[in-house]
Amino acid sequence: MLGFLFRRLGDIIPTFFGVTLLVFFLIRLIPGDPILMLAGERGVDAERYAELQAQYGFDQPIIVQYFDYLVGVFQGDLGKSFVTKKPVIDEFLTLFPATVELALMGILFAVFIGVPLGVLAAINRGKWIDHLTMSISLTGYSMPIFWWALLLIMFFSTTLGWTPVSGRLSVMYFFEPVTGFMLIDSLLSGEKGAFSSAVSHLILPTIALGTIPMAVIARMTRSSMLEVLGEEYIRVARAKGLAPFRVIMVHALRNALIPVITVIGLQVGVLLGGAILTETIFSWPGIGKWIIEAMNRRDYPTIQGGILMIAFVVMTMNLIVDLLYGVVNPRIRHKR
Amino acid sequence: MALLEVKNLTVEFGSEDKPFRAVDSVSYSVDRGEVLGIVGESGSGKSVSSLAVMGLIDFPGRVTADALTFDGQDLLTMPAKRRRQITGKDIAMIFQDPMSALNPCFTVEAQIMEALKVHEGGNKKQRRERTLDLLNQVGIPDPKSRMTAYPHQLSGGMSQRIVIAMAIACNPRLLIADEPTTALDVTIQAQIIDLLLKLQEDSDMGLLLITHDLALVSEAANRIQVMYAGQLFESGPADSIFAAPRHPYTQALLEALPERSEGHDRLRTIPGVVPGQYDRPAGCLLAPRCRYANENCVKARPEVSDFNGRDVRCFYPLNDQGQPTGMATGETV
Amino acid sequence: MTENTTPSAAPASNVAQEVVEPVGAPPSPLRETWAYFKTNRGAFTGLIVIGFILFLALTAHWIAPFDPIAQDRTAFLKPPIWMEGADPRYILGTDAVGRDILSRLIHGAQLSVSIGVAVVILSMIAGIVLGMVAGYFRGWIEVAVMRLMDIMLSLPSLIMALAIVAILGPGLENAMLAIAIVQLPHYVRLTRASVVSELNKEYVIASQIAGAGHVRQMFVNILPNCMAPLIVQGTLGISSAILDAAALGFLGLGAQPPLPEWGTMLSEAREFVGSAWWVITFPGLCILVTVLAFNLMGDGLRDALDPKMKR
Repeated sequence: MLGFLFRRLGDIIPTFFGVTLLVFFLIRLIPGDPILMLAGERGVDAERYAELQAQYGFDQPIIVQYFDYLVGVFQGDLGKSFVTKKPVIDEFLTLFPATVELALMGILFAVFIGVPLGVLAAINRGKWIDHLTMSISLTGYSMPIFWWALLLIMFFSTTLGWTPVSGRLSVMYFFEPVTGFMLIDSLLSGEKGAFSSAVSHLILPTIALGTIPMAVIARMTRSSMLEVLGEEYIRVARAKGLAPFRVIMVHALRNALIPVITVIGLQVGVLLGGAILTETIFSWPGIGKWIIEAMNRRDYPTIQGGILMIAFVVMTMNLIVDLLYGVVNPRIRHKR
Repeated sequence: MALLEVKNLTVEFGSEDKPFRAVDSVSYSVDRGEVLGIVGESGSGKSVSSLAVMGLIDFPGRVTADALTFDGQDLLTMPAKRRRQITGKDIAMIFQDPMSALNPCFTVEAQIMEALKVHEGGNKKQRRERTLDLLNQVGIPDPKSRMTAYPHQLSGGMSQRIVIAMAIACNPRLLIADEPTTALDVTIQAQIIDLLLKLQEDSDMGLLLITHDLALVSEAANRIQVMYAGQLFESGPADSIFAAPRHPYTQALLEALPERSEGHDRLRTIPGVVPGQYDRPAGCLLAPRCRYANENCVKARPEVSDFNGRDVRCFYPLNDQGQPTGMATGETV
Repeated sequence: MTENTTPSAAPASNVAQEVVEPVGAPPSPLRETWAYFKTNRGAFTGLIVIGFILFLALTAHWIAPFDPIAQDRTAFLKPPIWMEGADPRYILGTDAVGRDILSRLIHGAQLSVSIGVAVVILSMIAGIVLGMVAGYFRGWIEVAVMRLMDIMLSLPSLIMALAIVAILGPGLENAMLAIAIVQLPHYVRLTRASVVSELNKEYVIASQIAGAGHVRQMFVNILPNCMAPLIVQGTLGISSAILDAAALGFLGLGAQPPLPEWGTMLSEAREFVGSAWWVITFPGLCILVTVLAFNLMGDGLRDALDPKMKR
């Protein structure tokens, strides 16, 4: 197992370096003079310009700038935002939990709805329930996420008034964040109604964000399950006289879920991309909204740091998924 | 009364109006302590008939029979739950490919203990001991270490022994073995068959041995059934069938054995192939390939009838000299 | 014994007579694929819908009742024709500045289809060339190219597209380029994988012995055998291109107003969530139907082209 881990790290580390390189040069290519951006509307005279240049290292050759940046990254320093002047890494860490909470809920929604749908479709292959669930799945991943979010708001918030339109919590409540996860913090705060407010604010964004992963997972589960159900050991299990429920839930599902785990891991990237859109629509204070605002304001350190951190998160998730796959699939465990 | 009684079993697939009969009115029975060998080429329906007995034929297959009884109980009308209690406990089955018969996610002991748990209960310790017992019985060396192995760590012969252990775990009274050695190396084949026969003898089980290998069945079986394209062609005691086959197909099968081609230049074969779903002959199913077939055979389908104590499905069964009887002279080729 | 029928005058049958009549020549691959495809009702429906959308796209100029960017100041936010207060000229209603929604949607079809097709063609050509080169020449070229693709794939696609658009500046063409770049790794990987598996096949070696040059080997010999998965990926790529372009349009970074791109229409409609449902519902519905149709067709193609499925 350890050998497996090191081998995967050996793949990831060069890729991560590559990402830093890509991000660094990508941002450098954005037109516009960063110093002028930094200075703001007041503009800057020649002396101050030279000062700022030296301060931010813009007068160095580009390779040196890159290495300075790299060193900074490994020390956890991603620079300071041009707009708020605060360290990018701090802002990221403050806002990240909100996105994590949303993404986590989204994945839970996707798995707990997607997997059963896929299993149902597989055991009822060819019948109406199969067609229905697969149509739902197909519609799910053909939908533009932002439109779906708007529809949900239109229907549930505006027309029915069941859910709030934006934010994480009703403005009535205020307490210091402990973990950054609103569900936990609201419980800890002890304020009446805070938790249910947190929950009701989470519902629509979760559905909007989780629908595409749900659709993909449902489809994948179905095809994986169908393949497994055709395997000899399933027939043997039935020949042992096991109840159909046991055959499906214990024997088939264990095997069918193995490839689905990989798919779930891959959905993290999709979720983070979707988070950008979802957070924008629901005014959810997470890193998606943060990055968009940074792009609109040409806040280069934030854009750079944000993208890098997202890449880091995605790669870490992929690594975890790979390891999990090794744990769950005995064949891989022993081969490596 | 026979342990397993099958009368006119038919298994159909496909549409109602143009069904494909994988098994066509087949009858046989197996007694305690008896070994029945079912022989046929692939496509003969031999496996499908045993799947029907086990209740493993799914929609859209349709199973019908005049009688399908085990120990006097009607398997067809039995409630599903009761049938599941019998399956795996009183009737067990082992399949052809041992490498894919075991669930790759679970250990050997887990899979055997599961069969015990579902049918016999008992606590974990008891089940584990019994599993160890079973592994010894099937001849697995150093069973303690093998218990926690995963299927992919086992060889073909070892896997098949595990499968057999799983099948006999609850002391079944009837064991159905569907081509148990086909996927194994020749050297292992003999060992597995010996094991099966020994287990059968020790516990007085009925054994239904399904194979395409005539040589195998000649040594192992008490009685033999020959099937072709879903139909029963001949059935009778093993010795007499080998000494004097009554059906042209059986005769041709025997001739095709390499041992019987001694002195000839070429191995003898049966030309043609087993008819599939779309090319069933109107008359006798063997007619296109049979060396004795005449125009009667092509037009009409024979029923099973008794010929000197042997059940044969042929218009012109063979006599002791191997010649067809009842044909007008000059008609044969 | 057994039943007897009256023997006819026909001669005795022989051993080993042919049981099955020989069939005619097997159908060409194109015909066969089409036959499988046709039986898939979903895929066929998808094809019909795409045909309809293509028709709209090609004839937009003539079919649309109004100019998509003309504003009618007397008809702001008119509801669709079946609702109260509607203006019968504007069948699906008007938007906040009085533009006819139906006309905008039709012209939007033209935009979306061109975006989808252009992006995929661009991306596929570049991807095939890169993948071909990487898979054929192997060695450091392969490592370098695939490593670059891995890096590109480690970023979520929308984020990378955003970054590229941030560099190039907002606008439809830049958005299309960004999406094409983002889709590139998929085609590269697919092509390379196909090439690597074909390389060992005997027809390639035979060709090599016969003296075929690299370019010929790559594009004349190997490429046609890799086309099936590429075609499927391309069809599905059209649907993701349409979705991504709409997303960028929605964020204000893609097609700029007053272009009637469906995503851009949605960005302008956001504020009317409570008041004018038609401005939001219809453009999104168009995206959904179009993407659905391409996905259905892509799936159908995949099933029809998959040799395993062939009975």
